[in-house]
Amino acid sequence: MTKILYILKKEFLVMGRDVHSLLVLFIMPVAFILIMSLAMRDLFDTHGANQIKILVVNQDKSDPSIAFIKTLVNLKTFSFHHMADGTGIDLIRHKMFQEDYKFALVVEKGFSLAADRNASNTAERQMILLVKPSVNRQTYTILKNTFAASLAKARVANLIKGQEEMLDYAGIDIEKVMQPSDDLIETRYVSKSKLKFKVPTSVQQSVPAWLVFSMFFVVIPISNTFIAERNYGTLLRLQSMNISTGLLLAGKLLPFFIVNLIQVVLMILVGIYVVPLAGGDELTMGDSYGGLLLITTAVSFCSISFALLVASVAKTTEHATTIGGVFNIILGALGGIMVPKFVMPDFMQTLSVLSPMSWGLDGFLDIFLRNGNILDVMKESLLLFLIGLVMLSTTAIIIKRKLSL
Amino acid sequence: MIEINHLYKSYGQQVVLDDINLSIQKGVITGLLGPNGAGKTTLVSILIGIIGRDKGEIFIDGLDLDNHLSQIQTICSIVPQNLAIYPMLSAYENLEYFGGLQGLKGQKLKSRIDYCTEVASLQSFLTKRVHKFSGGMKRRLNLAIGLLNTPRMLYLDEPTVGVDTQSRNYILEMIKNINRKEGTTIIYTSHYLEEIEQVSDMIAIIDEGRLILNEPKEEILKQDFKVSIRVGELNDALLDRFKRIKPVRVQDDCILLTKDENFHDNLIEILTVLKSHAVEVVDFDSRDKSLETLFLNLTRKSLRDE
Repeated sequence: MTKILYILKKEFLVMGRDVHSLLVLFIMPVAFILIMSLAMRDLFDTHGANQIKILVVNQDKSDPSIAFIKTLVNLKTFSFHHMADGTGIDLIRHKMFQEDYKFALVVEKGFSLAADRNASNTAERQMILLVKPSVNRQTYTILKNTFAASLAKARVANLIKGQEEMLDYAGIDIEKVMQPSDDLIETRYVSKSKLKFKVPTSVQQSVPAWLVFSMFFVVIPISNTFIAERNYGTLLRLQSMNISTGLLLAGKLLPFFIVNLIQVVLMILVGIYVVPLAGGDELTMGDSYGGLLLITTAVSFCSISFALLVASVAKTTEHATTIGGVFNIILGALGGIMVPKFVMPDFMQTLSVLSPMSWGLDGFLDIFLRNGNILDVMKESLLLFLIGLVMLSTTAIIIKRKLSL
Repeated sequence: MIEINHLYKSYGQQVVLDDINLSIQKGVITGLLGPNGAGKTTLVSILIGIIGRDKGEIFIDGLDLDNHLSQIQTICSIVPQNLAIYPMLSAYENLEYFGGLQGLKGQKLKSRIDYCTEVASLQSFLTKRVHKFSGGMKRRLNLAIGLLNTPRMLYLDEPTVGVDTQSRNYILEMIKNINRKEGTTIIYTSHYLEEIEQVSDMIAIIDEGRLILNEPKEEILKQDFKVSIRVGELNDALLDRFKRIKPVRVQDDCILLTKDENFHDNLIEILTVLKSHAVEVVDFDSRDKSLETLFLNLTRKSLRDE
């Protein structure tokens, strides 16, 4: 027992004096969480927290056009900013780029005629939508459909204008006909455990994603110290002191498990306290601390085993850093760290099961997002322990073979 | 005491140690001399149990290496050729770590650290991180760590590689003091002849895995080969002729003449005979480097890097 304490002390001293490792283990994930939580906020914004800014110019100035724009303004998804009536396209374009508007809507003269119930030719242009090329296709389609729906609604309103008595006589409730369609749809978020649910936000995705990623980055400090120990003969010296391979491996597993625990606590605190300060949402945790500990332990075991395997195979620290870094990035990209899995096409989502980072991320999301418990993360945890055990056993064999040469 | 009987070790087809038989008495410093790749490091690594062997028996302090490895590792210590230390730790932290792993703790650990740092003259640098040490200081720390468990047998594998003359002399004095004060049995591997000559009681020469000499240093130095004449080819008649000159030894193509009262006459006679028989003199060396001459003649090559 005393020996492991000396090993722990040594590992923490070496690590604490290695600025690069500290940056990789603690500063890099904090930066990623902050940047990605803010950068992906729009992608996760399904509940109207963030509005799309749109410039509006009404060249028509008629009652129908005013009513149409009023209908749009009532939609909470968009934030409309009026420019003076009669403003030309060039000025509008200039303002769009100056103040970062992605869209501008110009209601052209003749809108009221097209909206008129007696209009015989509605094929004429009624509006111009100016769009920046950087706008994604989905947003553009949603916006265009919304305008089309609002226009249709304006025309229906125009059609029934003056027909109230007849409709009343027919038993048609005009207010119900004109009721906003949004009110007719109730949205319900579902969770695995059927208990509570949380609306997914960018911070709920970013914290577990970059946490898993950073936990796997123990490959840098572990391989640095391990390869130095092997190349400088320290491992041979330890072997001559009757220190077993098991104790040598335990001497890496335990300290870096503690490092991983510190990372988890730190990243959660960043999600709860720092991201909101930067303008993002606050991270909310699940209720299962047992589940959180289980998935943390499993990810930690797998990541340290992976690091030891890389360290045992690589000849130099540069070699290990390259192998470890490249593998981590590939596993991260595949596992939904950099791009959330739900935006991946189906075949990529299927491929993502090949990455242990994906299992870890699913486990953390089970806890943070879906209010899962120990049982919910059991499958992912067992997979991570299993692959970790395979890698650790392979490492032990490689180390024994290398030391006996 | 170390007893090695019929030791064999090979890596695949390459034989590294070939029927080594060696007996080392308690409290003796044995200089293990050999060219690079001769098998010196392999031999000491086998003795400390880091690597296995193919055949042979090894007894250390009467204990069979196969059955008492853990016990043997507590009474033996190796100072590896590489600097097996942590550059980012201080000297004290290094000593504490390795001492702790050897089961030392508390006051005993502290007193051993104090002793070892005093022996290595590192008292003033205990809190300094090792990466700021000079090459000589790192070597002394490497050696000090090897002394932590108060070893009865100490294996020093090229302990002065890459250090300046002052540090080398200090380390050699340090080794002699350890042997004198604690009675430690030491195996000192090196390819520096002058170091072996300076510290050793016994000199063993190993080449291509075979032990080709194991004699007390005094006996070897008595054979004061003053002149070495390397010649082209000697026929049997000439060989017999030279062998009749008493202080002459002929080894392969080399005539070795020891200095005695007839040295001058003997030398003239040899050269006259060589001239009269038109034997080519390839090289002539009259420097006083007896051990080196012996080493080169025994190994038939100079130090190699392979």
